[in-house]
Formats: sequence, structure tokens, C-alpha cells
Amino acid sequence: MIEVRDIKKKFGRKKVLNGVSFTANKGEITCLIGINGAGKTTILNAIMALTPISGGEILINGEKLHKETYERVAFIPDAITMLPQMTIAEAMEFMKDFYKKWNQKRADELLSFFRLKPEERISSLSKGNTAKMNLLLGLALDVEFLLMDEPFSGIDIFSREQIAEVFTSHLIEGRGVIITTHEINDIEHLIDKVVLLDDGIVIKDFHTEELRAQEGKSVVDVMREVYRQ
Amino acid sequence: MRANFNNRDPVYIQVIRQFKEKIAAGMLEPGQEIPSRRELANQLKINPNTAQRAYKEMEEQKLIFTERNNPSRITKDEAVLRDVREELIAEAVNSFVTAVRPINVPLNEVIGMIEKKYKEEA
Repeated sequence: MIEVRDIKKKFGRKKVLNGVSFTANKGEITCLIGINGAGKTTILNAIMALTPISGGEILINGEKLHKETYERVAFIPDAITMLPQMTIAEAMEFMKDFYKKWNQKRADELLSFFRLKPEERISSLSKGNTAKMNLLLGLALDVEFLLMDEPFSGIDIFSREQIAEVFTSHLIEGRGVIITTHEINDIEHLIDKVVLLDDGIVIKDFHTEELRAQEGKSVVDVMREVYRQ
Repeated sequence: MRANFNNRDPVYIQVIRQFKEKIAAGMLEPGQEIPSRRELANQLKINPNTAQRAYKEMEEQKLIFTERNNPSRITKDEAVLRDVREELIAEAVNSFVTAVRPINVPLNEVIGMIEKKYKEEA
């Protein structure tokens, strides 16, 4: 379980996170939703200790963040982080050398799952294929938790569908997933849990099936209530 | 199996409903093998935990059964199968009556209309 407890973060004078708390369980897909600037990516960065926080704490399986944390959690960015002149195959080689948890068998499976060509250069990938390559590099790690930053953002419908298939496949079986998004429409039925953020605080968090059972509302209904105020 | 689910009712309940409709219509036969939880999640594009919950609930309602490590199957219990059919019919009749009663139509007239419509559609 990832526990985020009352974390705070300032950039200069601007408070980006104002005491955010939530938990993300293994075997569940937790979705951080918020309009741009709500602090979603900052939270993922804080979990990866890529950015220092000014208050609160983050626990992974009950332990504070330390070096070995990164053996347990993978961060899947929404931008290119590899050298653009590399091919996909070279990026995979790089990951293999760099991470002990690299699982070559799963990596090869992911290549065909996403129908990516290993000889293709990163600089020539479409936005959708860039997202798929990022997912490949992260999902091929044998880690317990996966953090995905905007995996559905700005890509074509067919790539979206293919990426959505990851969430119903064995590729994330038993693992804990946190994804950030600002558009929920076509993934409402795929996620377990929602954390709604606005202005650096959690406005509401809930399991989607419980929301439907108890309030008869969709996630979008709740978003309308929250963000239109 | 593919479906459009609404966003405001629990998805696991909608999944069970679909199974019941297919059982009542004979599209799923007694003893027929059904997809694994993960296959179902993939086909319906729903969360695997939701598929798991639907199957657990259907096992409790004895709609499906699982022997050891084999795939789950539709029940062969005739009483259960009959109940499913009766439940769906009763529900449909209830909602029809609820909708039609406020209009104050004499029963005979309604029955006549139902008969006519039924023949039309077939």
C-alpha cells in the first residue's frame, strides 16, 4: 500500500500541495483526477522522491521512502525521457543494464502487445507510440507499484483503447497502480478508486462501485459537482 | 459478450443482469463454460476486480459454479434457472404496470394492445 499523509509542497510562494492524504492499494487502480495545475504530477514526483516535500510523509508498505523504494515503484512519465536518437531496442537495453528488476520476457511480450517496432527511433514515434513505449519500459519492471502520469492524454482513440487494455490484462495483475488524468470518460469502468484534487487538496475520494451503489452517481457527475462550484 | 454499461449503477450488478438475460433467453445454456474473470474484464472493458465481484456474487446466487481449477460454468439447477426467468419477467411486468397505471387505461384495452404489439414485433 502507498500511503500519502498530509503532504505539502510549495514552489516559491505558491502552495501546490496543501495537505494531501490518500492511500493506494495493491491490486487496485487508483486515479488522481484534477484539472491542470491541481498538483497531480507533483504528487507522483513526491512519491518517487523526485521532488522534496515541505510537510507530511509518504509510506510504501509501511516504510518511509528510501533508496530501495525504487526497487518497488516505477514511474511512467508522459514525456520522452530517453535520448531521442535511440531506437526502442536501445532504450530497452539501457533499462536492462540500469534496473535489476527488468524482466526481459515481459518486455518482449509488451513489444507485441503494443505492436511496437524495436528498430524504430524514439524521435520518430507518434504521441501514441511514445506513450506505449513509456508504458513498456515501466511495465517490464518487476515492481509492486506503477505510477502513470497522464497515460491517456492527447493521444488517438486507437492508442487509448490499446492502453486501456493494459488495465484489464495480466500485465498489472496484483500490482498497485496510480494514474493521473483530467479526462475520465472512457476509463470510468476500468478504475477502482478516485481521488479528486483541486487547488492542492483532496476534495473527495471514493471507490467507484461504492459511489454508484450508494449515491447512484457517475464519476463525471461528481466531477461536475466539484469543479463547477 | 460486449456491452454498454451505464455509469450510475454498480457495474457488477449490470454484469450479473446481463448473465441473467442471456440465461433466460437461452443464449447461455445450463452447464456452459463461461470466460475467466480476466477474459470477461477484457471483453467488457471493465475493472478485473469488478468482474471478480460479479462472479463471486453469481456463485453465491448459485447462477454459476466452479469445480476445482476448472473454468466456471452456468448452473444446471433447474429451479435456479426457472427463478431467473421468472424474476426477469416479473421485473418487466412490474415496470410496465408502473408506467401504464397512471394513464388509467382499462386492462382489456392494454391487453389488446400488448397482443397486437407482440405480433408486430415478431
